[in-house]
Amino acid sequence: MTPRKVRSGNFIARLLPFWLLLPSLLIIGAIQLYPTLFSFLLSTQRVESGTGRQLFVGLANFRRLFTSSEFTQSLVHTAIFLLGYAILTMSLAFGVALLLKQRIRLTPVYITLIFVPWVISDVIAGVVWRLFVVPEYGQFSPFFANPSLFGEPNGISILTSPAHNQISPDFPFPPAPALIFLIVAAVWKILPFITLLILGALQTVPTEVQESAAIDGATGLQALRFITLPLILPMLTVALFNLILGGVNGVGMVFSLTGGGPGTSTEVLSYLLYSLGFSKLDFGLAAALSVFIAILNLGLITLTLRTSRAYEENI
Amino acid sequence: MKKTSDEQLVLQLDPNAVSPKTKARLLYMRKVARPWLLNLALLIVCVVMLYPIISTTILSLKPPEEVRRKPPVFLPCDNPTQSFALGACRFSLEGYARIFLLRPDPASMFGFVVTGRLFSQYLPNTLFYATAAAIGTTLFSGMAAYVLSRYRFRGRQFFLVGILALAGVPLLTMLLALYQMNINLRRLLPGYDERWFMVIVYIGFELPFAIWVVKGFFDTIPRELEEAAKIDGCTPLGALLWIVAPLAAPGLASIFLLAYVNVWNEFIANYLLMSKATLRGAMYGVYDYIAQSLTSYNALAAACIIVMLPVIVVFLLTRNVFFRSMLEGALKG
Repeated sequence: MTPRKVRSGNFIARLLPFWLLLPSLLIIGAIQLYPTLFSFLLSTQRVESGTGRQLFVGLANFRRLFTSSEFTQSLVHTAIFLLGYAILTMSLAFGVALLLKQRIRLTPVYITLIFVPWVISDVIAGVVWRLFVVPEYGQFSPFFANPSLFGEPNGISILTSPAHNQISPDFPFPPAPALIFLIVAAVWKILPFITLLILGALQTVPTEVQESAAIDGATGLQALRFITLPLILPMLTVALFNLILGGVNGVGMVFSLTGGGPGTSTEVLSYLLYSLGFSKLDFGLAAALSVFIAILNLGLITLTLRTSRAYEENI
Repeated sequence: MKKTSDEQLVLQLDPNAVSPKTKARLLYMRKVARPWLLNLALLIVCVVMLYPIISTTILSLKPPEEVRRKPPVFLPCDNPTQSFALGACRFSLEGYARIFLLRPDPASMFGFVVTGRLFSQYLPNTLFYATAAAIGTTLFSGMAAYVLSRYRFRGRQFFLVGILALAGVPLLTMLLALYQMNINLRRLLPGYDERWFMVIVYIGFELPFAIWVVKGFFDTIPRELEEAAKIDGCTPLGALLWIVAPLAAPGLASIFLLAYVNVWNEFIANYLLMSKATLRGAMYGVYDYIAQSLTSYNALAAACIIVMLPVIVVFLLTRNVFFRSMLEGALKG
């Protein structure tokens, strides 16, 4: 073997990490990095209809976005959605996780069965829940058409009946029944995932700690409140951020369950992004909105990382 | 069985503190009543969680006149005198027949062909996208994660945090640009196949998460094994292929499955990027049935069942693999 050959062998070996990393770099660059930069750039531009020429307009798109009533409305929808979604999911998931933590013989079977909704796609889940409330023939339609619960039924389905007695068009509260129904359906879909996260956290709490609390005279509820809860709090925070992140970005269910309607009463931010960018073709405005959502998400991810790192250091 | 309640501890510490009767009652609570109550509570949770799926299955099996009944009933099993009679059940496969659209064809092996668009077009597309994207994701994430796990170089931490930050950019944001990219590529490249563009897009969406998870798996494999192999004359590439990859096979399998299911379930990117319905997948197929309001509800329910059944079956068969990569990824965002 000549010295030269050895050196070239080393050369290839030294570059091996680069070759292994290259496909991922290229794909992530083309599919994630470039589009992100493109959108950020687009948010400062106006696309001339017809010619497709792009003109620099500074922050005009953002000004147009923040002053539009569509945006304030969908911001309120998103806030209501997230609030209901987070509170319902966290409390239900915590309850179910506590039940699953008491290991009995059938626990693995229950975990598996409870988990099924998580693997179903958003679109299918939306259709499944839509079938409950389709006009006249849906199983829950009679319930939602009950005038004493939801005001005079306007139409026969919540898919067509708008909200009643809202404070103002810019502040759509109380929400339309369709938005409440959307929350219920979304909670059903995400509940398994959050339950599993919390269950995992509960199982990291050492039994000795609980036993010594019991010896000191703590009741079950006290032990939960003062021992278990503080120990799993960071993990609960991680679960909460995961939840909110999914809630801000998920749009498939809105598509198939309500289609943003009735009117615009279930138009959350991500759906507004779709309708601005792909049906109204107002690219500049859509890009500005997506920058807004991206900043919101980055904030959430930073918080998640920070709390999860603190959590890992604690155990 | 856990023993944390204070009564039980009192029992252990001082057997005379409670009367034998109370003791028996506590023992009964612990051994018999509590498991039963737990079972009952969890059973209720399971029924609630599965109710929408069960209800859709029943709806898909209803004949048209039962679908259109007012007020709606859960099971089409009532007769004029009883609310439930097994003999009176009226199930039918009419909904499925509308989706399959079987047509007699003497030339075919079974004597008929399936002409429903879900089967002739949408499901094959989804099968292709999911298979190709899952293979690509597993391969590329394995390669990148190996480097990130075993080598220290400048920009490593930046890359790891950067791909995570990119995952925070909303999907629809990227679709704005990818949509333009697809149009430009179609104009510039002759013989350009949009389906491969779709596959690359899916790989791009799955990669950041997959790299983090696979890196986590690689980190748990001791380096000594590779170092021993290298001393024996094994190249770094050989070490990856013959030592690390087989040991990380369960982790890689879980990434493959997760990517497969994610792509199978994906709708928005596929719907917005692919210009022609012939290139779209099964989720679009189902969405399309809502859009054509002519479709009856039993057929819509049947389409849902057909599209979600494969995923549910795969999940039930491989649930542990699923849980592993999910928990691994959740802590990282």
